[in-house]
Amino acid sequence: MSIRSRWKEFRLGIKPTLDELKFTLRRIRRSPLSIVGMVLIGFFVAIAIFAPILAPPTDPHDPFSIFHDGYGPTPRPPGSPVEDSYVRDLGWTTHYFGTAEGQLDIYYGCIWGTQTAFRIGLLVVAVSLAVGLLTGCLAGYYGGVIDEILMRFTDIVLAFPGLILAMALVIALPPAWSIDFGFVGLAIVIFLALIFIGRSKKLQGIWTFMLAVLGFAAFGTLYTWVLGTPPIWVQTLNLGNLDKVLIALALVGWPSYTRVIRGEILRVRHEDYVEAARAVGCSDFRIVVRHILPNAIYSVVIIASLDIGAIVLTAAALSFLGIGAPVGYADWGQMISFARNWIWAGIENPWQYWYTFTIPGLFIFVFVLGWNLLGDAFRDILDPTLRRR
Amino acid sequence: MGLREFVIRRILLMIPTLIGVVLLIFAVTQLFTPGQRATLYITSEKQMSRIPDIIRQYHLNESVLLQFSDWFSQVLQGNLGYSRTGGGPVLQVMLRKLPATFELVIWSIPITILLGTYLGIQSAVHRDQLPDHVTRTVSIIGYSLPTFWLGIMLIAIFFSGLGWFPPERTGAQAFNYIYLSGHWRYYTGLLTIDGLLNGQPWISLDVLKHMVLPTATLVTIQIALIIRVMRSSMLEALGKGYVTAAKAKGLTNTQVINKHARRNALIPTMTVAGLLTAGVLTGVTITETVFNIDGLGRWAAVAAGGGGTVPDVPAVLGFALFAGIVYVITNLIVDVLYAYIDPRIRLG
Repeated sequence: MSIRSRWKEFRLGIKPTLDELKFTLRRIRRSPLSIVGMVLIGFFVAIAIFAPILAPPTDPHDPFSIFHDGYGPTPRPPGSPVEDSYVRDLGWTTHYFGTAEGQLDIYYGCIWGTQTAFRIGLLVVAVSLAVGLLTGCLAGYYGGVIDEILMRFTDIVLAFPGLILAMALVIALPPAWSIDFGFVGLAIVIFLALIFIGRSKKLQGIWTFMLAVLGFAAFGTLYTWVLGTPPIWVQTLNLGNLDKVLIALALVGWPSYTRVIRGEILRVRHEDYVEAARAVGCSDFRIVVRHILPNAIYSVVIIASLDIGAIVLTAAALSFLGIGAPVGYADWGQMISFARNWIWAGIENPWQYWYTFTIPGLFIFVFVLGWNLLGDAFRDILDPTLRRR
Repeated sequence: MGLREFVIRRILLMIPTLIGVVLLIFAVTQLFTPGQRATLYITSEKQMSRIPDIIRQYHLNESVLLQFSDWFSQVLQGNLGYSRTGGGPVLQVMLRKLPATFELVIWSIPITILLGTYLGIQSAVHRDQLPDHVTRTVSIIGYSLPTFWLGIMLIAIFFSGLGWFPPERTGAQAFNYIYLSGHWRYYTGLLTIDGLLNGQPWISLDVLKHMVLPTATLVTIQIALIIRVMRSSMLEALGKGYVTAAKAKGLTNTQVINKHARRNALIPTMTVAGLLTAGVLTGVTITETVFNIDGLGRWAAVAAGGGGTVPDVPAVLGFALFAGIVYVITNLIVDVLYAYIDPRIRLG
């Protein structure tokens, strides 16, 4: 077959996909809310990317620590001059948004706080989504005992209000954590190998996988017990306060994804096209990845974009309560907690320190609003049941 | 399946979840050092010095199974440890702080539900008109506002600026009467009701005035959920055949909405009442901290290290256990009510 005819075939093959994409883009253009959402998110992305230019770090090794201008307790209003000569020499002349308690620059904190917010939101959602995809597919596609165990487990995690469980986890996580990288790596290798075996031999991959993991865990335990030291691939990770928040939020977050993905897979599992794929001898992996997931992923995308906002809110709440980012770290929630003593500034001029709580709060609010608008727009645009109305 | 069988089945199904909740809390205890874990077993300040003995006594350095049986028998006896920040055994502190939280919750939940369903219905009935746009905007703003920031802004506007509604739980005068005068008697622990029972209605009024802002905060944050669900289920109901039939019968629009559509639309809204509970439990943690109300939520927040010192482990775990159990039980009640109202659930 000539290249030209192959190209033609390819173009015909992807035409439906392209048409759908065009339709989606048209829908996006027609929905003003989604445009507002995208503009807001775009604005924050720009702030995050250009943070080093908008607010040149005073300490290049640690851009996330907000610079001090002395240590005086009383906040100073927007436009006050910078007094610290070291910071002044670096090009900082005025406090654009004023200073918070302890003379931390609010402008600097807000700008670099954008990066913190993106990192928290995207990382937590990515990890929860990955774990949720894996477990949701296992539970939904194979059903049976695995489904039962996973669903009971998600029941339990979802029986707690997220913030409260995250709070308990943040204080419970130890500062140093030893992780068995070899174990994780080998588990992944075995898993992939089994999928490939499963493709040719039609093994019930999941049971062999479980057995392999158990066997490996047993080996590790035996090794440690006989030789007295853990295997060399065990490495110790040191966790900062923010890492703990990330881990706690991911631990609390994944079960809801598992639930949704499982539900979606159950919905499409017995559709004709899946049966057809099975009939022509596709492997389980191929059926899940190529035929089921693309049809089940929409609701997950919607939830994920709404979830980024919710997670940033929860992380900010944890910081506000004093168990999030370390003191002086560029983080919006923490900047508001600095403002708590300055909400009322005497009878004369009660709003004298308005900037300490209003400005960082607006940043959180607009950021979360952007994601929520985007999520809502995605819901109208992507959801197949609403899409063609 | 009758209603009774459904309820029994549902209660039996709740037991594994409750066991799971307890197990998860136990799993969290395992992340702490034995020294921190030991505080879960003591009951008074004096025993703080005996921690090495307690580690030995409760096998805190030994196998997980031994630890679990010890810990679980303590929990069954109601001993959740000694709370440093609360100044007493966890269960006692909880009972002492519960009324303040409960008072906040029993005001905010009914307001949220009534106002939320009303706005949701209006939004659906006037779809794509002004009331709908306003309601949807309010709801998405409520979704996006950080609870603590909303609280702070409300204090800044209505207390600092206008001087209408103060934060905290009582004013100085009421505080003096309640805690220092010696005439005050607790009947229910809820200050609004106790004020009337004590023959001091001004105290009830004072407390009510102090509760306006925290209640407004909780309602604003939670109402978005109710509005959304109510709006979509009302839209669905309005499109059903029985609504068309009722209209064809010649009923007025109000009759159709109130008698036919609303009743059916309320059923799905009930299912989110469980989520509302979770939201409120989270919400009080932050609201009480912002408004300086001495309830369960602020205690948990302080215990988790709001002061920046060593966390008060028993208090946080006790509160998490409490929240988990409350949530599971609320969901049970919601399911039972749901089955009671909608026979399709228990028969299907």
